[in-house]
Amino acid sequence: MTKRQRQRLVRGALYAVFVLVVLVVSLVADWPRIQHSFFNLEIAAEMFPRVVTVAARNTLLYTFLAFTFGLGLGLLLALMRLSTIGPYRWFARIYIEIFRGLPALLTIFLVGFGLPIAFGVRWNILVYITLGLGLVSAAYMAETIRAGIEGVPKGQMEAARSLGMSYSRAMMSVVIPQGFRIVIPPLTNELVLLIKDTSLLFVLGTTATTMELLKYGRDLLNQRFNPTPLIVVGLVYLAITVPMTQLVGVLERRNQRAR
Amino acid sequence: MTTASAPPATHAIEVRDLHKSFGDLEVLSGIDFTVGHGEVVCVIGPSGSGKSTLLRCVNRLEEPTSGQIFIEGEDITHPDADVDALRSRIGMVFQSFNLFPHLSVLRNLTLAQKRVKKRPKPEAIEVAKRNLDRVGLSDKIDAFPAHLSGGQQQRVAIARALSMDPDMMLFDEPTSALDPELVGEVLEVMRKLVDEGMTMMVVTHEMGFAREVADRVVFMDGGVVVEEGPPEQILADPQHERTRRFLQMVL
Repeated sequence: MTKRQRQRLVRGALYAVFVLVVLVVSLVADWPRIQHSFFNLEIAAEMFPRVVTVAARNTLLYTFLAFTFGLGLGLLLALMRLSTIGPYRWFARIYIEIFRGLPALLTIFLVGFGLPIAFGVRWNILVYITLGLGLVSAAYMAETIRAGIEGVPKGQMEAARSLGMSYSRAMMSVVIPQGFRIVIPPLTNELVLLIKDTSLLFVLGTTATTMELLKYGRDLLNQRFNPTPLIVVGLVYLAITVPMTQLVGVLERRNQRAR
Repeated sequence: MTTASAPPATHAIEVRDLHKSFGDLEVLSGIDFTVGHGEVVCVIGPSGSGKSTLLRCVNRLEEPTSGQIFIEGEDITHPDADVDALRSRIGMVFQSFNLFPHLSVLRNLTLAQKRVKKRPKPEAIEVAKRNLDRVGLSDKIDAFPAHLSGGQQQRVAIARALSMDPDMMLFDEPTSALDPELVGEVLEVMRKLVDEGMTMMVVTHEMGFAREVADRVVFMDGGVVVEEGPPEQILADPQHERTRRFLQMVL
């Protein structure tokens, strides 16, 4: 057998295996049951419009709150990381190490239950949500933003200073705007992670009006004893996240061209 | 040039026994250097001779290790010196242009006017337009730096520095990053500034330009001023062996 013939044989065998597996699965699988459990149109139809008007809306609201808070704190931490003042640098470093190293769920528990127990505070649930998710994402965003600021050529700061601008003015007007352009794609990735992490918030005991997507799906799963709600909720997540990851790709390609 | 009988009370730039080290490496080893009001001084020398570092010390983009620098008689190495105010009086042009790529040409020119000089917007725009006209780029007012040629970018950078109404201009190898065919337009703008009587310190490899416009040429090597004098003397009849060797290589 020549090498070429052998290659063709292997290729044919691989196709055959694929077809065989598909055939076996489609014959063995209990299609009516799968359809009834995972793609139950009756149950899926019941979920609208609440899955959008309440659950998806809350998911997006929590994401927005945590992202805004995390972005602000992350920028502050990034500037502290770059500060010439030692204690600021150390604080930012330690903060980032801690919150990147801890499971997000632990932070959410600490904020949502630790703070009320320790200090007797009873804040609005939105505050716990913002802090619980935002404190963690700030740590990640700080590192991203720092990299962006450091990615701006040194000559930009020098040119701004040579025109008489103070360090902070030069940062605000010249360096940070350019740094942000660099970090928009990684920050969008951060946003996608945050959208998915809102699914952890059910541990805070969200109610019928404050529940997000996963909690809504899980509640219906229990009520109807049918997994279709999880599939619907999953599709809603994808409807939000896939366009965003696609957008990241577009932005990255555009950034590359701008260079 | 002013006559010798009426020397200005102070120099525009006066450097006394300036030392600068980066770690263990001493880049400037005791520089004494002056630029008079309205004088054009070109600093030449091989790369690594410390000429750019000297220029960058003059507006304290580099911190001197020791020594004193006076700008119009004011000691800028003093701890209480207001460096930002000082820099707004000294225009600087970089080898790599350093225009702000996220801002239009107009906003490149008005940003520091508004933020540092606190000029109202209409006045800042008017000053910007005047200076763009000086460098011959009025039609590029709304363009972004990325859409300009290197020569145009450097001319905009000069206009940006001029928009702060500086008392003097520092040029750090302003044509070294340019394609040869774009050098001329930048030198032409600089020549115009010389004619207008601007005080200028120019670090350059353009010997023709130095010969033509400089009042004085300073040759540096190994972190010291080797010799200085009128261009015709330094460039045509150098006294030191090191100067001769350098000029043989570049001319």
